[in-house]
Amino acid sequence: MAELLQPDSRMCNYFFLYDGSKVRGEADPTRDGICYFFPEETPLDKQELLCGQLAGVGRCVSELSSSPARTLRLRRNKFAIRMKDDFFWALGCSVDVPTVSVSEFLDQLIDLFCFYNGPVRQSYQLNSQETLAAQWARYLSHLQSGSSELSHIFSCLKTIDSTNVDPLLLLKAALILQACQRCPLVLAGCILFRGRVVSTQMSPGLTMKVMVHESETYTKAQRPNGTSASSSFSGTVSSTTVFLTAPELQDLQSAPVDKGFSSDILKPSSCPTTPQRDGPSKKTRLSRTLSDTPSTESQVSNPSLSKPPQKASLSPRLSDSDVFSPALSHSAANSLNPSPQSLRFLSNGENTVEDEVEESRSRDSTGGRSQIRSEGDGSVFEEDSHLNGGEGEGAFGGVFEFQAVESGNEQPHDDKVVEEDSRVSRGSVSGHKAGKSDPPPLLPPPHRLSDASEENALIPMTLYMHRVKGLVLALLVEPHFMSDATSMEEVYHSSLASLNGLEAHLRTISPGAPGGPGPYTFAHFDCIQSTLTTNLSGRSGGAWDQPFVRATSLLHSHFCNTETLQEAIIRNASTAVYGTRSVAQETYFQQNGGSLRNSGIPNHQDSAFSLPSKARHRLLKHGVNLL
Amino acid sequence: MKCLLIASESAEMLFYWTDLEFQQNIQKQYGASQEEGHGFPAFEDSISTLFAPIIISFSTMVTEADSYTSFTTENNHIYVLHQFDECLYIAVNGDGEEKEEDLRRKIYVMNKMIEVLFGMVTLSGNLLRKELRARDTEQRLRLWKHLQSLLETYSHLRENDQSFLVEAVERLIHPTLCEQCIEFLERRLVQQINSSVERGGEEVLHAFILVHTKLLAFYSSRNASILSTSDLLALIIMAQNMYPSNVDVDDPSPEVQSGDSLSNSTDSIFYTPEPSPTDKDSKKPVRGSTPVFEFVDPDIQMAEDSLSTLEVYPPDPATPHKVFLEVSQKDGLYPMMPHSMYCLKLWPGITLVLLTKFPHSGVAMSVYTFWEAFAKLEKRLNEGQGGSTRGQPMHEVRSKLDKFLKTLALNGIQSSQLQNVWTEFKNRAFSRGGPGFSRDLIPWCKNMKTQLCGIYRQCFLSDSGPDDTPRRLSPGLRERAQTMVQEQLMDWKDFLLVKSKRNITMVSYPLSDFPGLVHFICVDRSSGQMIAPSLSITERTTSELGKGPVAQYIKNKMWSLVSTTRHYLQKGYSTLTLRDGDFYFCYFLWFENETGFKLEAKDIPIMPDDSAPIGMLAQNYYRKLLRYYSKNHPGETVKCYELLTVHLGVIPTEIILQHCRQLASKLWEPSRNPLL
Repeated sequence: MAELLQPDSRMCNYFFLYDGSKVRGEADPTRDGICYFFPEETPLDKQELLCGQLAGVGRCVSELSSSPARTLRLRRNKFAIRMKDDFFWALGCSVDVPTVSVSEFLDQLIDLFCFYNGPVRQSYQLNSQETLAAQWARYLSHLQSGSSELSHIFSCLKTIDSTNVDPLLLLKAALILQACQRCPLVLAGCILFRGRVVSTQMSPGLTMKVMVHESETYTKAQRPNGTSASSSFSGTVSSTTVFLTAPELQDLQSAPVDKGFSSDILKPSSCPTTPQRDGPSKKTRLSRTLSDTPSTESQVSNPSLSKPPQKASLSPRLSDSDVFSPALSHSAANSLNPSPQSLRFLSNGENTVEDEVEESRSRDSTGGRSQIRSEGDGSVFEEDSHLNGGEGEGAFGGVFEFQAVESGNEQPHDDKVVEEDSRVSRGSVSGHKAGKSDPPPLLPPPHRLSDASEENALIPMTLYMHRVKGLVLALLVEPHFMSDATSMEEVYHSSLASLNGLEAHLRTISPGAPGGPGPYTFAHFDCIQSTLTTNLSGRSGGAWDQPFVRATSLLHSHFCNTETLQEAIIRNASTAVYGTRSVAQETYFQQNGGSLRNSGIPNHQDSAFSLPSKARHRLLKHGVNLL
Repeated sequence: MKCLLIASESAEMLFYWTDLEFQQNIQKQYGASQEEGHGFPAFEDSISTLFAPIIISFSTMVTEADSYTSFTTENNHIYVLHQFDECLYIAVNGDGEEKEEDLRRKIYVMNKMIEVLFGMVTLSGNLLRKELRARDTEQRLRLWKHLQSLLETYSHLRENDQSFLVEAVERLIHPTLCEQCIEFLERRLVQQINSSVERGGEEVLHAFILVHTKLLAFYSSRNASILSTSDLLALIIMAQNMYPSNVDVDDPSPEVQSGDSLSNSTDSIFYTPEPSPTDKDSKKPVRGSTPVFEFVDPDIQMAEDSLSTLEVYPPDPATPHKVFLEVSQKDGLYPMMPHSMYCLKLWPGITLVLLTKFPHSGVAMSVYTFWEAFAKLEKRLNEGQGGSTRGQPMHEVRSKLDKFLKTLALNGIQSSQLQNVWTEFKNRAFSRGGPGFSRDLIPWCKNMKTQLCGIYRQCFLSDSGPDDTPRRLSPGLRERAQTMVQEQLMDWKDFLLVKSKRNITMVSYPLSDFPGLVHFICVDRSSGQMIAPSLSITERTTSELGKGPVAQYIKNKMWSLVSTTRHYLQKGYSTLTLRDGDFYFCYFLWFENETGFKLEAKDIPIMPDDSAPIGMLAQNYYRKLLRYYSKNHPGETVKCYELLTVHLGVIPTEIILQHCRQLASKLWEPSRNPLL
């Protein structure tokens, strides 16, 4: 099956999602647990074999090691594994692909699914397996579409070739986005042109997710649910519900541009109790400029308090929140030792509280927040908000965190759970729980709190898209933006003319001619922006490409695994590749042409050792500075 | 948290080794799942129950023509799996001290040690299973304990000894003394033993003297085949296991390096724990008498802990070990031919090893030849070529095997089962009306192979040989040999013990010649030898690298560099330079002919991640590499060298490369080597 397709055209040989909760008893057939299997044409026997064996071994290993399995390698395939709740994901690739890349790919895939569909368990309760199978297939093909071999190694954003584009156009795009943000309901946006990023305000990960929908609407495929086209804007505007993780939302809200402005407008009336009004951070924010970053950063750490400790450690903002370490540890303490009364409150009336939360949220998101607080009656909330001086979002995030802990404590072994390292216990415990006692879905999205073990703490937002031919303006907006006609019109009309102009300009730019095999090959990966610059001739696979890709793949894994490694030259009889990296970038360089003559013995005249200086000079004209 | 286990396809535990942490972890888990039970079940039962799903799933996947090679978990536990014939090896690490490659190497080394101990019996899964899992509990525990301690000795060496890091033998560099010793071994020792009537039909083929793990002198008799590096390294592990010398600790203080006081003090300084655990009680006072140093190897201690419930009496260390080593003859390579290994302790840290040939070792060669013939036939039949060849080579085998069976009968070896299977085989293969050489013959090939291994086992592994005469060097002869060498080396022994710690030091490399050079290792892969400055990093000894953390850091870097270079070598890269932190690392692999002329580099094979580890101890990679390279150089002796260097990062690259070049050209030429 897998052999029918070109091995290099795609990364994934197998992908499946297996729901262990459906196969509990001896008599339950394995096939009941298979939620999705790629390639779909795989015979069911083979599907059952792979799912059954891998899930079984995965569970056995995770029991032995008290930690979820991460990779299962076979002689011909390597599988990245994710185990969460009773779900078991496996992504099988050729063994040549670096393990770090496979794992990253799987994480991306799952994140994509959650971005558009919300928590997995809930999606499978609300939608048919077939519908969701189509979703998985879509994301899978999107992530692999047009990928060169290098993009198997680096998960990168496709951007327009900035060397071909007038920088003023990029500036213009950035200005359009900033203009849109003047509307307080707009969180952040990006502008895409023919499936490539022109400008973005979002993190690379989030931009990547947004782009899936763009390519979707571009190909005019039908989305089964959640999409609504507004006829009032001549069919060029569409929107869909998306789900952001708490850290993603925090990142957006921490954007230095005008966020304070938006909350000022939005909140005074609806959040009268928010202590942030008197918070110390307020004083520093009298004037609002881009250089205002530090104070906004300190504001950021409010929401970060509400995130679970392990999230904080993963987040790039860790250093910022370190400033707040007393508060941080306080929140950790909270999450580990919830007060007894809050426990009781949850186990008695979990569903009703949730319902209320849901309702209040759907009524009015900002109003709802304060309501949650008053209902919550748990002292934790109060403490949090006092301590944080948190604005609405902060406290709101706190609810999810709190719920996550509570759902863990429903377990009979609750004392044990609290004692254990929260990183391990939280995931596994809620895993059991979700499988056994998840009540049937009561409400449509946005969001079921019972699922909210911290990673499931997904916050519904709306993705707004305005298409002008090949150009798309994508904005992440507050859910009620779509019902706020004034805001919508304001955004639409303020950007329409500029978008048309930008589109017209971009259209005239011819894509740079694919250069033939030059005297050298290079790849430059910007780890911060997740962009890749290369002169590698795509898929055609020149004589020098294959060795270059192989070396790059090895070196990239090595760089990933060895933090102190700065540069490396590797060489065999025919090729030599130089790799160097800093915190922000990785660069790989290979000199083509047959000037390599050496017997392998150390020789300072060996041309391999002149690669670093050559790379430095040659790559300057590609905008890569290695000095 | 470490573990290594061997299981049969039916998930039967054939061997296991765990460290204390892993054992506790297993007991905790098993206890958790069996809360109602009374007390812990036997550890062996728990571990086999917990691993059973993995083992069974492995077999299932094998039938689907794919099999697991490794697992990792989010908390960075690593599992490596590998199947040798019918035995599945699983190695686990949960403390981050070993990487996947290390675990795979451990598995291969374990397999190598089992091959050395059981020879051709390892070729039959069924027989090996019986050997590893003897019915008699005491016998089984004794064997397991022996294997566990071998594994621990190996792990200890690999983590601390540079020669086991790169898997090449390190010689003591003292040309005059080496020469004297070789001459002594040849002219006096070996000659005397081989002409003695007390040698019980055995013949000394190889004799060598080890100072800790380093080779002082090695002599092979004229009619002996070359002892492969792989076997030599395995024998050093066995010798170390018998007489462990904790190389890191027992360093004589400098003030006693000369003078007579040394000879008095060494005995107490070099206290080495007896391998026998039976004298546990007597050990304590001895330990107390050497208050400064804790000489009990922690690994050994652990082995005792993990099997503390057993009271197993190991065999007398003076009895020879049966070892099965590779023999190359004009007509081909015979792996796993029987030898006896006599390990005679001269002084603590200095050991004389004698390898002798069995009187009936010709039988082993015949058995192997027949076994190989049936294995080849089986392979051909599996590939569906049986019909075309009509088993031409088998006609030759037929007459030879008939003759062989008669010889066996004459020597009183039980061979009726082999006889029966062979008759049946002949009926099927050669009779006119029979099925001939078709796939139906495959099970009979397998059966023949098993029977041949059975004969081999009967001849060389069972305690009573074909005749009941004890075939070994008499104790008197052994004692005399020991005394002879002791007398010869008496004046040198203290020097040797110091020398083994400071074989080469970086001080001998003038700073003016090699500024910024921190460390290097140079390996001659054709002869399996290495040269490297000593890296002793104990509290007491101050090497040029300084003490404590810095030296430890360099050592760790060196170890990780070797594993990195192997990874790139596996992927076909023979040159590597790395700038890592404050250091600059270089690695080169190249070929020369015998006259030292550098040969053109050639792309070397790219291998999958789960291929055999690169090294010489198990599955000699370099031998294959040399064979591969020599294809283009027929009639020329090709040599393969490796050089690893560590420099300070501030040194300009050109200078570093010049150093490498100088080292590469100088090291193996005694006249120009400043060290020799």
